[in-house]
Amino acid sequence: MTLSPHLRKLALTVHVATSVGWLGAVAGFLAIGVVGLTHHDAQTVRGVYLVMEQAAWFILVPLACASLLTGFVQALGTPWGLFQHYWVLFKLLINVLSTIVLLAYMDTFRFMAAVAADPRVDLSDVRNASPVLHAGFAILSLLVATVLSVYKPRGLTPYGQRRQYARRARRA
Amino acid sequence: MSQPSPGLDDRATSGTPRWVKVFGIIALVVVVLLIILQLTGVAGDHSPGRHNLSSSHMSTVGITRFGQQTP
Repeated sequence: MTLSPHLRKLALTVHVATSVGWLGAVAGFLAIGVVGLTHHDAQTVRGVYLVMEQAAWFILVPLACASLLTGFVQALGTPWGLFQHYWVLFKLLINVLSTIVLLAYMDTFRFMAAVAADPRVDLSDVRNASPVLHAGFAILSLLVATVLSVYKPRGLTPYGQRRQYARRARRA
Repeated sequence: MSQPSPGLDDRATSGTPRWVKVFGIIALVVVVLLIILQLTGVAGDHSPGRHNLSSSHMSTVGITRFGQQTP
């Protein structure tokens, strides 16, 4: 199935917007994670971990899912395919793994928010380096995916090579 | 992904490109490192709250591992 040029451009626009938006949102999480670790004001620190859970549900999860879905549309709606080129395959793996880790991490967000909401918990126990570490790793992964999208390094998978030979054989 | 390029297919020769091998090695190293961190306990038990309070502390303040308040 190949999309028409207009639909392809629209799908690409949505894919770029959601993917880069996801990267930007994770950068925002990294920033507020650093605030949570370093700020002196107790209310601000607790507020960081309280807002993280809600922000993750309303921003990170929708952007991650949208990026994944629009990526499928881009791959399957164009001659690139999903498993024919290594760069597409790597992007798929990065996107799928990042989304799985994010969804698994939602429990941690919930836990951190509950800890932050309890005034009996000491501020040193509210502070948590985990979001900074995870956001840092996520930014690296999503940057790699972005670079792959832009540079599109050459290389056909064995499946892609078979498809290419078949196409050439049909043309010959 | 938006610009399907038949010319790109022609450039793609058989065999695995070097950048794919480098990516694969880096990915393998990262996975092995994560497994080692996990096995040695440096990364904790990787469940919610692993970077935070001990279980005894959580029960003291009335918080379960999944963030629900106990009476």
